[in-house]
Amino acid sequence: MDKTKTQRLGLPNLGLGVGLRSKHYSHLMHNDPVIDWFEIISENYINNFGYSRRVLEHVAGMRPIVMHGVSMSIGSTDPLNLTYLQQLKDLANFVNPVWISDHLCWTGVAHVNTHDLLPMPLTLESLEHVTERVNRVQDVLQRPLILENPSTYMEFHSSVLHEWEFMTELVNKTGCGLLLDVNNVFVSGSNHGFDPEFYIRNIPHHAVVQIHIAGPTDCEDYILDTHDQSVPTPVWKLYRLAQELTGGVSTLLEWDANIPEYDELVAEVGKARQVLLGDYPDVPVYRSPYLNAVSNPVDHQLQITNG
Amino acid sequence: MLFQTPLITSYKLQMAELVNIQRWLTSIMVKPGSLAEKVQRADQHYHLDHSAVIRGTDRMSPQQKIGIYARGYIARLLECMSAEFPAVKYLMGEDLFETFAKAYLIRAPSTSPDLYDLGKHFPAFLKASQPKNKVVGNQTFDLPVDLATLERAIAEAARIPGLESQIPDTSSEPDIFHLFGDAGIHPSPCMLLLYLQYPLIDFVRAVQHDEQPDAPPPAESYVVVSRKNYIVYTHTLLPWQWFFLKGLQSTGSYRKAVEDAARSSGESTDSIMADLVLWLPIAENFGYVYRAL
Ligand SMILES: [Fe+2]
Repeated sequence: MDKTKTQRLGLPNLGLGVGLRSKHYSHLMHNDPVIDWFEIISENYINNFGYSRRVLEHVAGMRPIVMHGVSMSIGSTDPLNLTYLQQLKDLANFVNPVWISDHLCWTGVAHVNTHDLLPMPLTLESLEHVTERVNRVQDVLQRPLILENPSTYMEFHSSVLHEWEFMTELVNKTGCGLLLDVNNVFVSGSNHGFDPEFYIRNIPHHAVVQIHIAGPTDCEDYILDTHDQSVPTPVWKLYRLAQELTGGVSTLLEWDANIPEYDELVAEVGKARQVLLGDYPDVPVYRSPYLNAVSNPVDHQLQITNG
Repeated sequence: MLFQTPLITSYKLQMAELVNIQRWLTSIMVKPGSLAEKVQRADQHYHLDHSAVIRGTDRMSPQQKIGIYARGYIARLLECMSAEFPAVKYLMGEDLFETFAKAYLIRAPSTSPDLYDLGKHFPAFLKASQPKNKVVGNQTFDLPVDLATLERAIAEAARIPGLESQIPDTSSEPDIFHLFGDAGIHPSPCMLLLYLQYPLIDFVRAVQHDEQPDAPPPAESYVVVSRKNYIVYTHTLLPWQWFFLKGLQSTGSYRKAVEDAARSSGESTDSIMADLVLWLPIAENFGYVYRAL
């Protein structure tokens, strides 16, 4: 660890957290959250003035909140969506998040939003493009942007940088933070044949602010980031490595489809404590013979919940 | 300084390539057709060769890799459409629903950061998809349109700004202002009024409870959807009630709303005024209207 640089950009280690999902609204309105902190999908609350916002207000009164977005499209060649950034800022004024994150990706172009996290060609031009946009976003938000490595399923011939090199350069040039998704490193590493450990050893550890863990799906020819399973053993191993190298950062379990009951969710993220002691749960990567698994599931954002 | 010019030019050139690659991939994802057709069309249109853009591996060709994104795009957004329109899906059956939802996504790809905007125009799309030579009186096609309209209204009423944050709840306080004409009665900002050809509220509720209801026979239905204290209410109104609320929404005037209700329902203003005395507290309780001076 580089002791000369401020660890986690000076942001706190919040402990163990889970995503705030509508399935658990009723439980959380009547029970202690038990876990340390929550991550919200920002877009789920931006134009939502109904019960979701009431729950968010309630939960934010009890635990720290982090805002995690999926639509900034920082790598897109479309102009930055300033309306969206303002909405993000307004939501931040409402929930007072500990930080705001999004992904190193683009979601569409020519104003189309595919609602997917699409990979960038990792070129020097892309780096320059994203750098300029991260700087502008940080100027608007008046805080460092925390960027997550996405799961990717294809690589570009034109790429001249590895993703960990791209992330490192981006941190150096913008002072942004990293949301290290160790499941995504595992997924992308499996899909592209790089060593996930090498990736994790070669990012700037002082800039890692948060870690994501999740359970992917093995579709035989590739691994898909489905967020619908228990965290498998290899992802837990990467998690422990990352925690050792960073000196300890906030941990968040992502579970977005087949979402379990709240207690089960809390128990799953709680396994992180044993993992840090070297005790790994014995969980194979879930294998699906079906091709209908969905990466990056988003429909949980639309479930209508009444009081 | 001299050497900077070619560098900038090269950067712009490379940026143009990034623009082109992003347009190319987006078009493959959102356009119709088989994967091979879509890739071929995009290659031609954007003067790219997908196998020179995307790296293949031993296990997967470049086109197969692109296919993961193309398939994921449709599957992901179909799940969103299913989440917003469960009753339409139940009515049409999965295959027909997916056919319409896919056609809709191709016609109107999302342009919003907000997924909630995705289904906004689905009812209008279904309506526009009605056969042109539809026999008047054959209302079978109006049923999915009405159903989509109602489900969309329920989704909207659950999210749009309402009364919760601004108005203290006064409904339990005795108040006789409404006896005297223009009485500080306002329509709730999250009240939506629908005129439907079918009575569909029970049908939607049954589908939400995983029951298997039969589609109702046609009967005109005056529906209100609103929210109060974070609970969404969906009710059928009497025509005069519906026209009163509609008038209140469009004119902002209690007196004009009463006149509208009388004109449209064929009842006298006196009888509507008398009925309002009994009904307004109910309308307040369900968050159709609120009182403010
Ligand atoms: Fe993640």
